[in-house]
Amino acid sequence: MNMKKIFALILLLGNLAHAKLMVVATTTDLSSIAKEVGGNLIEVESIAKGTQDPHFIEAKPSFMLRSAHADLLISVGLDLEIGWLPNIIRGARNPKINPGNDGFLEIGESLQTLEKPTGDLSRAQGDVHPQGNPHVTLDPIRAGQIAMIIAERLAKLNPENAALFQKNGQIFSDRLKSKTELWKKRIIATGISKVVTYHKTLTYFLDRFAIQNAAILEPKPGIPPTSGHILDVTQIMKKQNIKLVLIENYFDPSIVKKIQSIDPGVRSEIVPVSVDGEKAIGNLDELYETLVQAVEGKK
Amino acid sequence: MKNFTILVFTISGMIFANSARSQTAARSGKGMNPDMSVNFMGVFQQGSALSNDRLEGDHNGFNFNEAELQFTSDVDPYLRATALFAVAAEAGEFAFEAEEVYMETLSLPSVTLKLGKFKSSFGKQNILHPHAYSFFEVPLINAALLGDEGLNEMGVSAALLLPFSWFSELTLQSQTLSNESLFNSAKSNQLGWLARLNNLWDLNDSTTVAFGISGLSGKNQFNRQSSAWGADLTLKWRPEVGGKYRSIAWTTEYIGSFRDNWIDAETSQSFEKLGGLSSGFNFQLDQRWSTGLRLERLGIPNIAPVNAINKISAIIGFFPSEFSGFRLQYAYSKNESASKADHYAGLQYNISIGAHPAHVY
Repeated sequence: MNMKKIFALILLLGNLAHAKLMVVATTTDLSSIAKEVGGNLIEVESIAKGTQDPHFIEAKPSFMLRSAHADLLISVGLDLEIGWLPNIIRGARNPKINPGNDGFLEIGESLQTLEKPTGDLSRAQGDVHPQGNPHVTLDPIRAGQIAMIIAERLAKLNPENAALFQKNGQIFSDRLKSKTELWKKRIIATGISKVVTYHKTLTYFLDRFAIQNAAILEPKPGIPPTSGHILDVTQIMKKQNIKLVLIENYFDPSIVKKIQSIDPGVRSEIVPVSVDGEKAIGNLDELYETLVQAVEGKK
Repeated sequence: MKNFTILVFTISGMIFANSARSQTAARSGKGMNPDMSVNFMGVFQQGSALSNDRLEGDHNGFNFNEAELQFTSDVDPYLRATALFAVAAEAGEFAFEAEEVYMETLSLPSVTLKLGKFKSSFGKQNILHPHAYSFFEVPLINAALLGDEGLNEMGVSAALLLPFSWFSELTLQSQTLSNESLFNSAKSNQLGWLARLNNLWDLNDSTTVAFGISGLSGKNQFNRQSSAWGADLTLKWRPEVGGKYRSIAWTTEYIGSFRDNWIDAETSQSFEKLGGLSSGFNFQLDQRWSTGLRLERLGIPNIAPVNAINKISAIIGFFPSEFSGFRLQYAYSKNESASKADHYAGLQYNISIGAHPAHVY
């Protein structure tokens, strides 16, 4: 085979473009937003399941295979996927999705994050994220911003449909904005201004709806609750008259019984924190609605 | 020669034409430093077959196993480099050695090329570093055939993702033949060849099964051919719901070999065939606790001068976080020609500091 034929073959392989853009997202929340924006023009799938803790996904070779054919890989960043995504990217052997290329999109860096630690960082503080809390998709307003970021990147990859992606992103963003106003009213009506959670997963949701996360059941991020710490938390709850605990559903649900045995007056709700985290939750609207209902006690 | 030159130009064109940028974005405060980490392990142990002489590599009492210093970074838009140095106790002193130092391509489609000194992709166990072992030590057959540090040579590797509907990876490697128990070839320009085919299927969202076969060959110190082959089967399960707290990994591996004309240095007897089987099962009990059991037999086929050895190892581990672990292991082993069995018990610590590790599946 001569040189010309080799180059012709390489060019041909490079030009065998898919009819649809192939998108891989690290979480179901991101794949759900991408679906809203890309509609029928993209094929999208998520690596993590909605029932899994996105910090601890295994870098299965089958994910590398999926990513090998991707035109775009969307991740949260902010070190959420640091323990597994680098291996998937390397294993995929797909230069399109290498960091720095158009096929790699980390949405976290374009968002305003909460709980960004100041001062010296140490692992003695637990699993801290230097660039801020990574659970950004739990805020409906930031979800709208993420949709616009994804729309912009899809437009770059498929300029012919740029206007459509922009329009879809805007519709999604506007829809969530108007629903957020209604959800806010419902949350205010509950009179609940303080809750306790298992991990700092719900930070952005609670911040958006002006609910204070008064205590965390994990003594430090990533460290499972001890009996002593659970007791401390229930005492904080008594002092501050907090009656609601939200347990993210990928954590051990047996903690509900432990809390109730100490203080039977506390209401504990096991809540999904991702799209597909429960069977009935097919998109972010349904996820936020479920979380609002959990605060209302109607879940 | 002409074809070879074209191939080299084509590959280098593909490597350097792509505009891929750095894999690791420079993070604040880190600048352009490589990701750095230190991993160290030690053990307090008592074994009927172990010496009380602290100058022996592995002895009763406190042992410092090793400390690994790892540096990884993108070199430029095309290459990524890993340098891993080990400090280990040898005959009462500490030796510093380059365990793995290599570069890998970042910007080639479907293939990763690797050049340098690295652990050969032979079977399941050989590519692991000690801190990632499921049990304290490698299976008997790995230690007997490839040595305590495994097959680790200088060479070149190509790992190709095959275009199938399941994950299928073909790895081809050409490497030096310095390994003393398998090759120790007389001349430095003699090269060995290795091939590995690894397949993985998702049975469902919770379960995977992986099957791999490996083979390698090269000249040995008697200027004849040494060959080794292996097959490994791994079943992994981690449920979609509650996967933080429960998982199973079960790996079975067979390694066989033929070292043509090989004479055992100790017994001066012919010692050409050596093979063995190991099957290890690990079960995660909770977020931080796990347990495991491994059964092994060295000597399949059973050829003198080595008598078959059967071994059972049981382990329980407590992992306070991703970065620390404490494990207790008991092992029973019996050489079929010996009258007494050997017993071993040890408590091991395993610590990691520095850059967050990327866990291999």
